Amino acid sequence: MNTPQATLPTAPPESGGAVPLLEVRDLIKDFPGMRALDGVNLDVRRGEIHALLGENGAGKSTLIKCVVGAHSPSEGRIFVGGKAVNFHNPHDAQAAGISVVHQHANLVPTLTVQENLNLGRALPKRGGIFVDWRLARKDAVELFQRVNMNIDPRSYVSTLRPDEAAMVAIAKAIASHAKLIILDEPTASLSPTEADVLFGHMRHLASEGHGFLYVSHRLSEVFGIADRISVIRDGKYVGTWTRDQVVRRDIIAAIIGSDSKFNDEAAQATSHGAVTLGVQQVSGERIKSATFDLHQKEILGIAGLPGSGAEEILDLLFGRNKITAGTVTLKNKKLNLSSPRAAIQAGLALVPKDRHAEANLPGFSIRENIAVASLGKHLSDPVFRFIKKRAERRTAKEVVAQLNVKTPGVEVEIDALSGGNQQKTILGRWLSTDASVFLLNSPTAAVDVGAKVEIYDLIADLAEKGAAVIFTSTEIEEFPRLCHRVIVFNEGEIVGELIGEQISESNIMALSVGGGT
Amino acid sequence: MSVEDGTPEVAVGPKRVDIVSFLAKYGVVLSLGTLIIVFSIARPDVFPTVGNFLSIMNQISILGMIALGLTVCLVMGLFDLSIGAMATLGGYAAARVLAQDLSDPGAIDVVWVVVLVLSMAAIIGMMNGVLVSYLGISAFIETLAAGSIITGAILGVSASRTVLRGIPPEFLVIGQEKLVGIPNPVVIMLGLGFILWVFLEHTQPGRSMYAIGGNREAARLAGIAVKRYALVALGICAACAALGGLVAAANLGAGRPQGVGEAYLLNAFAAVFIGASTLRPGQFHILGTLIGVILIGVINNGLSIMGIPTFWRYIVQGILLIMALFAAGVLQVRRG
Repeated sequence: MNTPQATLPTAPPESGGAVPLLEVRDLIKDFPGMRALDGVNLDVRRGEIHALLGENGAGKSTLIKCVVGAHSPSEGRIFVGGKAVNFHNPHDAQAAGISVVHQHANLVPTLTVQENLNLGRALPKRGGIFVDWRLARKDAVELFQRVNMNIDPRSYVSTLRPDEAAMVAIAKAIASHAKLIILDEPTASLSPTEADVLFGHMRHLASEGHGFLYVSHRLSEVFGIADRISVIRDGKYVGTWTRDQVVRRDIIAAIIGSDSKFNDEAAQATSHGAVTLGVQQVSGERIKSATFDLHQKEILGIAGLPGSGAEEILDLLFGRNKITAGTVTLKNKKLNLSSPRAAIQAGLALVPKDRHAEANLPGFSIRENIAVASLGKHLSDPVFRFIKKRAERRTAKEVVAQLNVKTPGVEVEIDALSGGNQQKTILGRWLSTDASVFLLNSPTAAVDVGAKVEIYDLIADLAEKGAAVIFTSTEIEEFPRLCHRVIVFNEGEIVGELIGEQISESNIMALSVGGGT
Repeated sequence: MSVEDGTPEVAVGPKRVDIVSFLAKYGVVLSLGTLIIVFSIARPDVFPTVGNFLSIMNQISILGMIALGLTVCLVMGLFDLSIGAMATLGGYAAARVLAQDLSDPGAIDVVWVVVLVLSMAAIIGMMNGVLVSYLGISAFIETLAAGSIITGAILGVSASRTVLRGIPPEFLVIGQEKLVGIPNPVVIMLGLGFILWVFLEHTQPGRSMYAIGGNREAARLAGIAVKRYALVALGICAACAALGGLVAAANLGAGRPQGVGEAYLLNAFAAVFIGASTLRPGQFHILGTLIGVILIGVINNGLSIMGIPTFWRYIVQGILLIMALFAAGVLQVRRG
């Protein structure tokens, strides 16, 4: 297969002789043990909306952090307005006219819009003592007029629509004289119409000479708004194209690379057992309606962009989010999924996405971390509930041996283990319960490559022994490697199902962004 | 050459960490030992005697009961600020019922009244738990408010009058007599400590509480009924505080409607937090709390034996608490 670089002509780095707002040349960023950025080039011009694309972990955030001085680059140079710069912190970058607007818009929801606009700045004073709120409001009104918005500066940020909040954050950046505004997934929490409103404002500001660097996962948006598109993959610069030069498929290929590591090891479709979990017209906060079956011995992938509802399916099935309509059955028995406790009693298990926030018991031993979900099995009696420590320890040792957790012993604190071994411990927590359905959300997140493969094998083994597995991940390449079947969500609905050979990164990506296969 | 440059750093690094974690673990025990030695040298005739040891233990026993109960709450990460009021309630209610509401109470009545008072306290504590868990009010504020309500209710019911007459001698036994030479309050404190130690360290509910305190969301996702345990913890804590107040009333021979529990509130927190920086830094545990209580007792006793003015006790206790919190904090930061 051809690489995108070879087939597509990239845009010349500079056109028209104008000095770009931002220019990044051969940027390298090394972290201990890994190279996060490896020779990245990028330039953003005046009046341009420039999209930066790449998979999770491709290095987008690292790149942005280098640009604004939150990280210092290991090698390479950064120019702002033609001058080489070396920012030490985001304040330096702000002073030079670069602002970042994050996904959650870095606003304080309990303060008013005008208070937010003045956060971190000296407020106008009357008589040197009292805050001149009248002047502050006048400034805010003028600012909103300039950016063509209609928001009452006295309203509280918590009452704004997501697109309004994003615009206030952009207006705030402009008020601090930002020429280049970096938007880190600004539309992740916006509905399509809200995103359109935001884009209208961005167009207007770009026509006035501001530049935008725009990070997003939503390809359809990118093609709707970006003038040029840059892609990085695994920390390497893939290329920059003007929007008319490319079609969606090329960009998908550029993002995921045509030499994907795991394709040749695609999961083999095995004959599955009977339907075990039935999900009928279930809806939740993001899910509009989902109907699907899960078979015994099956690994079902649930794919979709952040916010598409893919992840919420797991939370709904585990009783973390309320199911607002529909039913879930296990072996034809209707389940009560009112709480995680109820879900566990029904035979479900969840490995949550954020190991540190949602799974680990920090400061506790591996034994205690494994036993926490199955302690009921190691009790002396149902009244006093004394823990039979010997049985508990034996189980922990068995799990550690079975999963090949690398540790000097089960009394070691979980914090002392590497990410991969912590994750195996969390998986082991559920193996020691009687769960028959395993819900796995990004089980290999922040795990080194060797442990990743071990965890894949464990999951495959789990299914082979009769369990049913639902798997989701932010890394699309994992689906073909692991899943027998994948259903894809887009905006709260199932938009496609891929079986066996059909499961490929490009098919999943195409369905996820709403393009169809 | 590079080896010579690097070696000292490598050697110094782990050693320094060892000293810090050693101090974080054993600092409190070391200070306790040092204080005992200093006081023993200063007043060899008075301080290091069996009589004085028992007297220290007797002085701290009520604080100990309250602090032990508080430990259960803090294990789960819940602050209970109603323990002072609850202690007052326990002492006043027991004395009041025995002296005024029952005619000629006997030993059996005393047992029933004790059970009744402790159950009432536990129920009030569980009601606090309901408000905290199911209405989502912060425990810190909720128990502060509940303490205020309880204080007000006692003052109203008692018309601010202390119960002095009519308390049966069988009740006073709890606070004034000895069992094989050990004052009963000390026996009760140690017994309570043992029960709570078994509960927290060796039963499923205890382990679950530790898990909730360690990572609430992870505990919930492991199937632990996080909300229900707040009722258990606040109930136990309230009953222990009431027990402390009850023993204090038996010791004093009077049911005072005010000025009983307030004195214990801050000291109980001090003892439990000192305990959390002892042996298992960053974790609240029963043995640590007992050591914290004893440390406070030794300071108070030693300073008074040496004739040092009372105000110094407060200052020394405050400094000690800050040092203990610092030691625990240092280790947590290091871990993170």
